[in-house]
Amino acid sequence: MNIAVLSCIHSNLAALEAVLRDIDQQSVDQIYCLGDLVGYGPYPNEVVARIRELDIPTCQGCWDEDIVDGLNACDCSYPSLLAETRGHLAHEWTNREVTPETRAYLASLPLTLQQDNLCFVHGSPHSQHEYLLPDTSAFIALERVLATGADTLFCGHTHVPYVRNLENSHLTLTAVHPATPSPSHSPTPLSSLKRIINAGSVGEPRHGRPHATYVIYDTDSQQAQLREVEYDYTQTCAAIREKGLPAIFAWRLSQGLEYAEKADDPTHVCER
Amino acid sequence: MITVVAGPCGAGKTTWILQELAQIPTPAVYVTPGVGSAPIDATRVQARCPQVEIFDHQSETELLQRLTAGVPAYFELGFQLETDIPLLATRPHRRVALVAEENQETSWQLWADTVIQGNPSTLDLQAAQLWRAPLSGQVFDSPSLDTFWQELTQGAYGEVHRAKGIFEQSDGQAFHLDFMNSLPGNAYTELNLPRCVQGRPNRFSGLEVVGQGLDEGAIAATLKDCYLSDSLLAAHQATLKDSVPLEVA
Repeated sequence: MNIAVLSCIHSNLAALEAVLRDIDQQSVDQIYCLGDLVGYGPYPNEVVARIRELDIPTCQGCWDEDIVDGLNACDCSYPSLLAETRGHLAHEWTNREVTPETRAYLASLPLTLQQDNLCFVHGSPHSQHEYLLPDTSAFIALERVLATGADTLFCGHTHVPYVRNLENSHLTLTAVHPATPSPSHSPTPLSSLKRIINAGSVGEPRHGRPHATYVIYDTDSQQAQLREVEYDYTQTCAAIREKGLPAIFAWRLSQGLEYAEKADDPTHVCER
Repeated sequence: MITVVAGPCGAGKTTWILQELAQIPTPAVYVTPGVGSAPIDATRVQARCPQVEIFDHQSETELLQRLTAGVPAYFELGFQLETDIPLLATRPHRRVALVAEENQETSWQLWADTVIQGNPSTLDLQAAQLWRAPLSGQVFDSPSLDTFWQELTQGAYGEVHRAKGIFEQSDGQAFHLDFMNSLPGNAYTELNLPRCVQGRPNRFSGLEVVGQGLDEGAIAATLKDCYLSDSLLAAHQATLKDSVPLEVA
């Protein structure tokens, strides 16, 4: 069975349509979406309508949550004052733009989805706002996968696609009283291979090119294919300017840069 | 000896003068006419060579005294200025032009006594914009400044030929940032100035951008979004107090 996993569409309808066309050509049986349907881009309602029309199982992203519950970010959401200012502008614009129907749909989204030994989240099982970066500590990465009970964890949020294998996985936790010598212990082996697969971003890439990225995963062979899809991003750039979003978002999209966020501290554990 | 240095925008005039000054153990004089409220090069020279006296047009009498006394003097002329300096009309001086090989067919060559290989410049003087922003007293959020500088130099606010500036950081240090479109990358240089860890720095900082089609309003607005507020600055400085000797600039 082939599944396609999309994430971080960010109101970029042209990018979503291009990815859906690419999926049509890849013999995909099921599509999953990891959230962040809205935020930064110019078409929040249209993107939500398209996802609903196709009945794609979707979990809630951090931007989706913020539109429902309001901003309440940990430091990792905005690693600079400039990013924070821009993020707030985008939030306020999106908050004004979304219809009650869109907002209700975003509120209804689950935080995780599960299929057999696969789990789907936006950021991490811990929080939609937590970044699982490629170089996040192996201990934290493994704990996040084990917390789901799945073997493979699909996530997004970082906007950079990657596949990370956590081989010979084990976690050891030892509590020692300061007055007593450390007991000997042996790790408890778990399933030999756990994986994190990051789907990248459909609508707000951060890999230096403006192209959309997503993942196709073969559940039988367990092979993941990171796909990069070219599309006419100038449509989205023009709409960003026409609809009154900050013009710098258009320039950053055209460069393959995120609109504002740039989390890159693998040691940070989200406190939201 | 009086040396007048000229050349196209971004040719490397200040860098060449700094190399010269490094070889002069005695006091010297540096003059940059026409920089107005943005003495970026002068601040850079002062930080690198504290023995050098910096002069501007407001202290001409003292400058004449130094010239009469034979103190070595370097005049750096901005690319946009006339090369005739009335002050030097009757004083012997050498004229040095920094010009790249591909820019040799220029009036700089005719003017100069000595031509030195400079950085190439493709600036169209007729279409060029020169935009300056005094930033004294402003302290920058470092990650924001980094984002702004990348955007500026990669063309987000118009085609930038040359950008240079002095920016105060939250750790109390001042940095010189330097971009020239014909050279790879950006130069970030910590200036040898006292750290300012109490309140706002009382010294010059500022930005100069040369290019075409510059969205000056957007540049100014983005810069403003990178400033630390009083409360954020106080919070940063509170964390520094235990680790940095207090020096007020």
